[in-house]
Amino acid sequence: MRTSRFTATVLMLYGLLVIAFLYLPLFSVGLASISKARYLSFPIRRYAYGWYGEALASDTVQTLLVLSLKVAGIVTVLSMIIGFFGALAFARYSWRFRKAYQKLILLPIFFPQTVLGLALLMWFNTLGIVPSWKTAVVAHLVWIAPIATLVISIRAYSFDPALEEAARDMGASTWDTLREVTIPLLMPGVVSAGLFAFLLSWGNFPLSLFTTGADSTLPEWLYAKMVSGYSPLVPTVGILTVGSSVVLVALGLLVPWGLRRMRALAGRVPSEQAAQQIPQET
Amino acid sequence: MGDQPILRINGLTKRFNDFTALHSIDLNVSEGEFLTIVGPSGSGKTTLIRLLVGIDEPSDGSIWLRDRRIDEVPANKRPTCMVFQSLALFPHRTVGQNIEFPLKLRKVPPADRRARALELLDLLRLPRDYYGKRIDQCSGGERQRVALARALAFDPEILFFDEPLSALDYRLRKTLEKELKDLHRRTGKTFIYITHSLEEAMVMSDRIAIMRAGRFEQIAPAEQIYAKPVSRFVAGFMGEVNLFDMTAGQVPGVTLSPHAQSRFAGQSGTLMIRPESLSILPPSGTADICFTAVIEAEYLLGSRMQYTLRRAGGGTVTVEVLREDAAQGGVGAEITLGCPADACHLIAEVPDAA
Amino acid sequence: MQRDRQLGLFYALPLGGFLALAFLAPILLVAAFSTMPPKVFSLAHLPDFSAYYTVLTQGYWKSVVWSLGMALAATAILFVICWPLAYGMAKVLGRFSLVLTICVVMTLFVSENIRLFGWVLTLMKGGLIEGYLRHWTGAGFDGLLYNVPVIVFGLVYVYLPFMLFPLAQGIAMVPDDTRQAAFDLGATRWQVLREVELPLAMPGILVGSLLTFVLSAGAIAESKLLGGQAVIVIADEVETAFTYGQNWPLGAALAMVLIAIVGGIAIWGIGRADLDSMMARK
Repeated sequence: MRTSRFTATVLMLYGLLVIAFLYLPLFSVGLASISKARYLSFPIRRYAYGWYGEALASDTVQTLLVLSLKVAGIVTVLSMIIGFFGALAFARYSWRFRKAYQKLILLPIFFPQTVLGLALLMWFNTLGIVPSWKTAVVAHLVWIAPIATLVISIRAYSFDPALEEAARDMGASTWDTLREVTIPLLMPGVVSAGLFAFLLSWGNFPLSLFTTGADSTLPEWLYAKMVSGYSPLVPTVGILTVGSSVVLVALGLLVPWGLRRMRALAGRVPSEQAAQQIPQET
Repeated sequence: MGDQPILRINGLTKRFNDFTALHSIDLNVSEGEFLTIVGPSGSGKTTLIRLLVGIDEPSDGSIWLRDRRIDEVPANKRPTCMVFQSLALFPHRTVGQNIEFPLKLRKVPPADRRARALELLDLLRLPRDYYGKRIDQCSGGERQRVALARALAFDPEILFFDEPLSALDYRLRKTLEKELKDLHRRTGKTFIYITHSLEEAMVMSDRIAIMRAGRFEQIAPAEQIYAKPVSRFVAGFMGEVNLFDMTAGQVPGVTLSPHAQSRFAGQSGTLMIRPESLSILPPSGTADICFTAVIEAEYLLGSRMQYTLRRAGGGTVTVEVLREDAAQGGVGAEITLGCPADACHLIAEVPDAA
Repeated sequence: MQRDRQLGLFYALPLGGFLALAFLAPILLVAAFSTMPPKVFSLAHLPDFSAYYTVLTQGYWKSVVWSLGMALAATAILFVICWPLAYGMAKVLGRFSLVLTICVVMTLFVSENIRLFGWVLTLMKGGLIEGYLRHWTGAGFDGLLYNVPVIVFGLVYVYLPFMLFPLAQGIAMVPDDTRQAAFDLGATRWQVLREVELPLAMPGILVGSLLTFVLSAGAIAESKLLGGQAVIVIADEVETAFTYGQNWPLGAALAMVLIAIVGGIAIWGIGRADLDSMMARK
């Protein structure tokens, strides 16, 4: 079946249209953040960047930022560790309750987050734990650790079990095998899982809403301001959080690419020799 | 076989960006012929068959089915059909539904479809109760037959095969090669088959086309390809072969009889001797072509023995003889080898040009 | 093999234990609370199931119907919108599909609040669309917010990635050879779609539809931010009962209704999908 160039072009334009649709609201927020007026109305008559200075100088915003970073950071580290072992059990080893375990892990991802947040609030209350940012970490983990597990599992599926068997065959202990073979091979998956974990925690609202107690994260604060009347700081802080996510994703994509380039440059001489030894196939 | 070719290809060319996969190919195929296209991977044979079937479009040239030009016709409108390398059976349908698929598309009534599917199961020697089986319940050889039945249900003018046997184990492949040849005889259809195995091609085909780097190197009946290859490439394609550089009627380190000298007088090229054409001579024996060599290794191939030898003039030689004719002495022994001039073939190609 | 079984179980413990404590236990707690008499805050009462009676008699079913209806509409619309793009990403666009993937995944990391807030700024009276239209043509309109269609629009917007990626994965599982063989046997494009592509991509279609349906059914932010008070969704009723209503048993009973529907569908769907083959194809 032939796919004509025409079809490919139409599909590509359609893809660009969908991307435009996905980013249009962020574009509006961006425009709003540089409007000088205190009460926003389009078309924007005068532009100003003053709100950014004000947002960055604000004590409230700084407190929110530190708290959000703390939560996201801890969630990231814990998700990577839990997800690593979770993924090995998910994808790599065949054991008795694996199918049930796979399904248990998917359930929190499907679960309505508002209800999950409320259920956790009741649970903490029953256990006598006062909600704070620490309980929010637990709440985020219920949703994010399974996602991290899935991300690492994708990598673990492409993992040839013979590699571990070969290592053991050569006398490696379980721990040696883990350290020398399994961890290095799964590392790219663990890193992307960490990236996912950080970004999802950083942007999460429904779970934080009920589980942070007196503390507040950036998305919570934004929501409170959105529903209780407009503040010119809302689009500004919104764009700042989005911007930091973009920077992080860009780093997450560029750093591995850069490392590969550097390794390729460092290894160029031997690899070229190797290429010359392989006869050209006609 | 009819007078007019069923398939005619003129100047067929396929380019992918700056890479040319097919260089202006010409080919005629007769009605009812079994033609096999053989080539190593990357030679362009898969590209060619995809153009013939209509999955890809040629960059240049034309394809004619009898009087009808078909290169502009999409695959689903061409009266030809292919058995894919992966077989491409529909995993969500039963054996029967797979075979009936082309009939269903033509709106054949269910009862007739079923009758035809059962007939085809018989033709391919599959039990009739396979009709309701799922594809994943069939073995590799059974799937092969289902794919063939599905293609035959389409009732194509030409049936194409894209290396359908390559994934099977050796014994099953040998059996199916013979069945395929038998099926060709019984159906009388035109078969065009591609493979990278010349052995497979030899068993089945009327004619073989050897492909190399997007061109046909030689198109000829099987015996001729084997005995009289036009190039070192074709000579080396099947099994082991001994090639000697000949300059002005002489090969260094090889003694030629007067008969052989007159036959090759003044000619240059590559002298080809198949391993089974050489025989081990008794100490005083002579032949048209003879030389001495030292045995480096010996291998038992069932009823035959194979030797790898180092020739006095340099270079290695492979010899295959019946077990009762085995060399005296074994590894390290020096022996004399010979063969009649008629069993050799001189390839016009200048040595090391390739 | 024995070693595999032990290691699998051992590695599953961290995540499995965590989810048992912080996911299954809270749900059981909600289930227990749903049986309590009205407005109690501990389980030290005799269960009387009166909350379920309230759910049935006080018109809460309307919220359930609205939630499920809008989720169904969003799922159907998303399937139609995403199929061509998913097809392009899986089969046609090559490297460009990587760009599309990154762009779409990026939006997942932006808080849902901010993105929906962006739509408010875009669609409101005096927003991006109406504001500029009035500016250029002089003719304005009332804004596009606060009705049912805009809630469905919001659901379509937010859950697009959850349909797109499973669909693309499902379509990637349809072997090219199989499509070409059907085509070669005389099928038209439409017949190839109906007879080969749809049935073979079914696992992806199923997962994508389930994800979008389940997530949309439990969604709350779209109806609150975009829909105003046009309709009250079930998750909103749960939240109201817990917070303003201070009636935990009622909230728990409503949550159980939602959990039963969503969980039932999710468990049914997850049970049918072969996770190993779906994820290993990546």
